[in-house]
Amino acid sequence: MRDVPLGLYAYRGPSGVSAVALALDPEQTVGAWSGLRGHMIRERADAFTRDEWAFLIAFLDPVNLRWPFLSTFGDPLGPVAGRVTALLRPRGAIALWLPNNVSLLGPLLVVLVSLVGSPLRIKAGSRSDDLTTAFLEYARPRLAGVPLGDYLASVACAAFDRGDPRNRRLAEDAQVRLVFGGDAAARSIDELPHPLESSGFAFTDRRSEAWLEPSRVDDDLLLSLLRVFGIYGQTGCTSPRRVVLLGGTPADASQLCNRLTALWPRAHPRPPPVHIASGNQMARQWAAALGWEAVVAGGQGAVFAVGDLDLEPCPAPMLLMVVAATLAQAEAALPANIQTIGHALTDAAHPRWLELLAHTRVRRFVPVARMHHFGPVWDGWAFWRQLFDEVVLDPGVTP
Amino acid sequence: MSALLECAPYGPRDESALLSELSQLSHHHLEGCPEYRRVWPGWVGARRLAELPWLHVGLFKYLNLKTTFPGVQFERTLNSSSTTGNRPSQIALDQTSSALQARSTGAILRDFIGGGQRPLLVLDSAASLRMRGAVSARIAAALSLKPMASEIHFLLTDSTDPATLRWDLLGDLLDRHDDLLVYGFTWMLWLAWGAASIPEAVSARLNGKRITFVHSGGWKRLDALRVDRAAFDGALLRGLGPGSAVIDYYGLVEQVGVIYPLCAHGFRHVPVWAGVLVRDPFNLRPLLEAPGQLQLLNTLARGVPCHSVLTEDLGIIRAGDCPCGRSGPRFELLGRVPKAELRGCANA
Repeated sequence: MRDVPLGLYAYRGPSGVSAVALALDPEQTVGAWSGLRGHMIRERADAFTRDEWAFLIAFLDPVNLRWPFLSTFGDPLGPVAGRVTALLRPRGAIALWLPNNVSLLGPLLVVLVSLVGSPLRIKAGSRSDDLTTAFLEYARPRLAGVPLGDYLASVACAAFDRGDPRNRRLAEDAQVRLVFGGDAAARSIDELPHPLESSGFAFTDRRSEAWLEPSRVDDDLLLSLLRVFGIYGQTGCTSPRRVVLLGGTPADASQLCNRLTALWPRAHPRPPPVHIASGNQMARQWAAALGWEAVVAGGQGAVFAVGDLDLEPCPAPMLLMVVAATLAQAEAALPANIQTIGHALTDAAHPRWLELLAHTRVRRFVPVARMHHFGPVWDGWAFWRQLFDEVVLDPGVTP
Repeated sequence: MSALLECAPYGPRDESALLSELSQLSHHHLEGCPEYRRVWPGWVGARRLAELPWLHVGLFKYLNLKTTFPGVQFERTLNSSSTTGNRPSQIALDQTSSALQARSTGAILRDFIGGGQRPLLVLDSAASLRMRGAVSARIAAALSLKPMASEIHFLLTDSTDPATLRWDLLGDLLDRHDDLLVYGFTWMLWLAWGAASIPEAVSARLNGKRITFVHSGGWKRLDALRVDRAAFDGALLRGLGPGSAVIDYYGLVEQVGVIYPLCAHGFRHVPVWAGVLVRDPFNLRPLLEAPGQLQLLNTLARGVPCHSVLTEDLGIIRAGDCPCGRSGPRFELLGRVPKAELRGCANA
């Protein structure tokens, strides 16, 4: 633990002032990322799509990067000066497994973990574009000479498959294992030998949907929904696979489907790659074969399908299903692995939502536009908080 | 039955008969396949091939489509070879279609390699035949050459390992025959034979023999090895006698029965019982002399609505007559639709 000098930073939370031991000064780190953001606005790394790059730029907003500290520890007070009642220190080395069709998770986690400053080793997917390395290669020279640059230089990222012996070494050496992948991959990693007191967080296959009330449906909302859906289609755990029109009729759902179809070219004016266009022809036929009324949007970039809630879902990547349902029906039809509900509700703060969520497995209940927003709490885990362990100080320590 | 199948594969074409047979076949599938009916609910008829209903080739990976009709008997399922991480297509084989498909393949191949029978050597293992209820694309392709085979031998002891080629068996066959037919997937034929160190004793016995190599399955793996057609053919034909040839054909399990061998002038010819269209991927309009997605049609498929399939292969239809002398439409195969997996944040 003494390899890396740690600074002590004070935060005032509901139960008093905590000292947080960090390898990097948090404000300097936020500032360094903000500086990189300036470069990113001017020049995009080739490996990233425009949407991915824009998402990363938004993620590096200082307000967003301060949020893990604020939400976990409370208001920042600067270097420790007064009495503190708890000490939080990084648990140690972190191993991160990324799935194959991941795009931004790697870069996003590099950013979040950099705020802790723990050693980070990453296993990228063996059959996917390695955007983590691409991001590191972009960031390192531009952050050279600042502590964050030194930290990024220490981050190791390699692509190998599930059977590679390096998986075992990653698990053996890490105090925290973060696993993003399918259920089988997560299970196999969990079975690797690992330190007894280490922590493991598996973020496995999840589904999300959008719940809209008819009174909230307008072009702005639908354009927002289409932008959210268009980034990942159904391949994103945070992307809506189904739009549920709460309290609507089948005719309302059909009309909503038509509006989404008509608005798609406004939300995504560029034509898709040929394989997406082709895949969408397949998706339309697949959905139709299952009983959905499906139509390919202009430009062939997406497929919209309307039907009954009890139809077999069509998991084509760029197909969005639209159904009408009562709240009770929507709740009953939630998939077991539901992650995010993106909402557009007349009163999203009404207590009935709390009552409903209390007995579902929904992990996130956020406005439609924020469905993809990744943060320190994920899939029900305050995983960023768990990158630290806590020392109870009774009656407290005053430096 | 397809009356067109009675004709020579590359003889004069009767386009109205083709349209009529394909239209009847479409109605047949609409009646017998509920999923197909849901995909094409409003279709009543076509005035040209481009108006016929079609299914996207990818659909056969996700749906087990079958058309039932009186007397239909499904026997086995044909599985496509699939690349890593991809699902294979599954095509149910029924007796009626299988008979038509075997006749079709035989007629097409005879046009390219001539009639007569000779030993067929398959670059696969005999164990591949013993899969219950299923047949691989590789075995199905090999067995389509059966009508031209006087006897069949499997040259590999392990169907996945090109290093297990039984050179002793090949040597014995070369001692007894001057004319052999060899089938393998393109990459397997290269690794097991073309790029292999052939034992001296076998190499000597190959000299002057007439061998016809037939291969299919595409060049993706060989592109990675930087092996082009000239190198491929040259390696296989080295030292062989006159009349030896390498025939590369294109075909899909979703269009089983119709294969498209490459002619000497680099084109794929369409037999009279089949049709080809090229469509713009972004609006599906038919294209002529411009690259687009290939749609393949044939009059053979009774048990599965795969008589009209929009492929994920790119091609271009060429107008005019081919110097090879075969009549009818011809096309160039340009490769697969370039693919990049849709990137998600999760693990679908």
